[in-house]
Amino acid sequence: MQSPSRGISCIGRTEIIMVFSSISFLYYFLPLVLLLYFLAPRRAKNLVLLISSLFFYFCGEPVYLFLMIAVTFSGYLHGLWINRAKDGRYAKVSLISSIFFGVAPLLFFKYTDFAIKNINLFFKLNIPALKLALPIGISFYTFQILSYTIDVYRGNARVQKSFIDFSAYVSLFPQLIAGPIVRYTTVESELYIRTHSLKDVASGINRFIIGLSKKVLIANSLGELGDIITELNEKTVLFFWLKAISFMIQIYYDFSGYSDMAIGLGRIFGFHFPENFNYPFISKSLTEFWRRWHISLGTWFRDYIYIPLGGNRKGMAKWLRNIFIVWFLTGFWHGAEWNLIFWGLYFAVFLCFEKLFWLGLLDKIPVFLRRIYTLFFTLISFVLFNGDGLGECFYNLKGMFGFLNIPFSNSEIYYYLKSYFITLLVAAIGATPLPKTLTEHLGNHKKTKSILNIIEPAVQVSLLLLVTAYLIDGSFNPFLYFRF
Amino acid sequence: MGMKNIVTTCLFIIIIFGFMIGNIITPDIEISFSERRTLTQAPGFSRRELISGDFFGKFEKYTLDQFVFRDKFRGLKAFMEFKIFKQKDNNGIYIVNGNINKLEYPLNENSVLYATSKINDIYKKHLININTSYAIIPDKNFFLASDNGYLSIDYDKLAEIISESITDGVKYINIYDILSVDDYYRTDIHWSQNRLIRVADKILTGLGSNKKASDIKYIQKELYPFFGSYYGQAAVNTEPDTLIYLTNDTLEKARVFDHYYKENISIYEPERFNGVDPYDVFLSGQKPLVTIENPDSSTKRGLLLFKDSFGNSIAPLLLAGYSKITLIDLRLVSADALDKFINFAEYQDALFLYCTQTLNNSYMLR
Repeated sequence: MQSPSRGISCIGRTEIIMVFSSISFLYYFLPLVLLLYFLAPRRAKNLVLLISSLFFYFCGEPVYLFLMIAVTFSGYLHGLWINRAKDGRYAKVSLISSIFFGVAPLLFFKYTDFAIKNINLFFKLNIPALKLALPIGISFYTFQILSYTIDVYRGNARVQKSFIDFSAYVSLFPQLIAGPIVRYTTVESELYIRTHSLKDVASGINRFIIGLSKKVLIANSLGELGDIITELNEKTVLFFWLKAISFMIQIYYDFSGYSDMAIGLGRIFGFHFPENFNYPFISKSLTEFWRRWHISLGTWFRDYIYIPLGGNRKGMAKWLRNIFIVWFLTGFWHGAEWNLIFWGLYFAVFLCFEKLFWLGLLDKIPVFLRRIYTLFFTLISFVLFNGDGLGECFYNLKGMFGFLNIPFSNSEIYYYLKSYFITLLVAAIGATPLPKTLTEHLGNHKKTKSILNIIEPAVQVSLLLLVTAYLIDGSFNPFLYFRF
Repeated sequence: MGMKNIVTTCLFIIIIFGFMIGNIITPDIEISFSERRTLTQAPGFSRRELISGDFFGKFEKYTLDQFVFRDKFRGLKAFMEFKIFKQKDNNGIYIVNGNINKLEYPLNENSVLYATSKINDIYKKHLININTSYAIIPDKNFFLASDNGYLSIDYDKLAEIISESITDGVKYINIYDILSVDDYYRTDIHWSQNRLIRVADKILTGLGSNKKASDIKYIQKELYPFFGSYYGQAAVNTEPDTLIYLTNDTLEKARVFDHYYKENISIYEPERFNGVDPYDVFLSGQKPLVTIENPDSSTKRGLLLFKDSFGNSIAPLLLAGYSKITLIDLRLVSADALDKFINFAEYQDALFLYCTQTLNNSYMLR
């Protein structure tokens, strides 16, 4: 796991990835794909999407493209075998086999070095690390393939007999590398037949531009702030707070912006992907926060891990066990680092306490205090998330709470706080439903609706041009969730 | 609603297809004069680069550099940063009353120490028998930054570090007191030659010369418009400067020898005003070793001037006190190679003249 401040070091990697927020994507790849897609006959549309998606992936991961194709082919074959075995015992064997062949590459590429590091530490050995680059998007497409084979086994999804359609589902470039995790059942019918309407295209464009702006105008700017202040000579208490707050907002805008772009692009091509964020920072408890943050991951773990383990139906002890397993895996999914495991378990503890004791108590206190409580502990969680190992996490926490014997502030941090104040303010307001509510409110009145109809496209064009300007002039453009 | 959807879709299509076609049909530009750098050209295609992913990385850089209306877009970004987001600076560039400047922060003490160790080494190796001094040119931040709420290095501390670490034989000539922000171009990092007479006088006096630049008659020549290095970086519309240089018969006749290319050049080369860096008018810009010989000198004194780009504009004025000045740019020539080009016995004085920005980023000194 790297912080955005260390994100600079991952720029080298993301530079070669054709991210949505890049000139090559916006002004070369996207127009050509749109042209081919809408000119292609209905039967060939999935093939166009597949070829485009493979090319998209190839631009960033030429070598790992074959790994993705292999894992996809494995998922496809296992789906056929599970379906052929139906309810027989071979269905279960095929399912286990599909999980093994699906998860094995993820474990190998993502967790081998973590295992080696800890074995070396524990047994005082010196096994060399493999130092393999993590294939982009492997955590996302692995989970998508697993959702397919498990759902075919459960009888919740029909088997996909066309390898082209199945590959198009797995590799669909809008959501390939950073989610949302689209389950097969969500787009199953749209893979066969989908409608393309002007309404969907316009709404997809709108959503895509909003996501693009969130990423380029806010997330990148806050990433730069994090970078700059990390380089400052003298650390202060205010520095640690500003770093924590700017990272929390940055990761929200970065990831939700990407999800918006994915959902928007999907809609242009006739797909309806699930929502991945729902204003998480207005949550009144951490339980609610996780219903609003990375929704597709939370529901995936709920439906494919938590409920099969028994959920809360088999007594308190097993319920607690299940909670801790799910949150351990959630942390571990985000990266092979102890601080991420710790981050997952941190939420496990809070969620257990909230469900057992605090939710009743929280209900009795004013809403704004509940929101402060949630924001505060979410902020702490992102300090754990952002650290390079547990040592740095605790160092940052000590810094925030004045345990490092450092001054409260200095002129440097005030300078940057002042300089980025409007950006932080805009970001804070944008993270609430206020802009959406206001737009809806204006849309409900006849007079303002007609004005809104003119303003909205103008704002979209302005944002697109602004994003272009920021991309041309800037170089800070890493996507944080590409690492997972 | 239907009309809004049509307008939204059409505008989006027009923009993405319009710029794609515009970028493809517009010929590639080789040099960005506003940014003073060569722009990335279309990458060559090879199977190795394709497989490694390097091709797409290069292609992205190419698309960024060769985007139509690139400078207009950069201006739009600067406008947003300064006017809408109210950022204090944009890519480190800030503007105070039309004066464009670049943040220099924080103070890099190790860099300053490295610069003084370089000076000490050269002094001990070559200049023991030469009257040696140093002067520090404050960058524009000294005048603009702290008073206007921008981050500023501790200039006193910088001077203190140098004074404490520099070897005893090297004397200090203080020029801080006689400079003001008006002595610098508004759109450029450099100082303006026509405002340096008193600075040249003070340096000449500090070096023990009884000659003064203020005793010499100069003709003032103007070149307009001068878009300085910060102008392009700021990407905002502001009034350009006028580049003024001071000349006379002596300077016109002076022999200027470029040791690297082994050719004679001129003190002023106005034809370079339209090049990538108009400041190259002075002594043809960045050169490792240049010697100026004064044909009308009544003295036989020689000066070794260790300098950065600021030295190019003041050297013609210092010629008032010398028969010969050799300018040495340690960013371009190694200190170890100096004795191959210079007979140190021919010089009586030496001056290390560096801007604070060079001292704070001195690892470029070789």
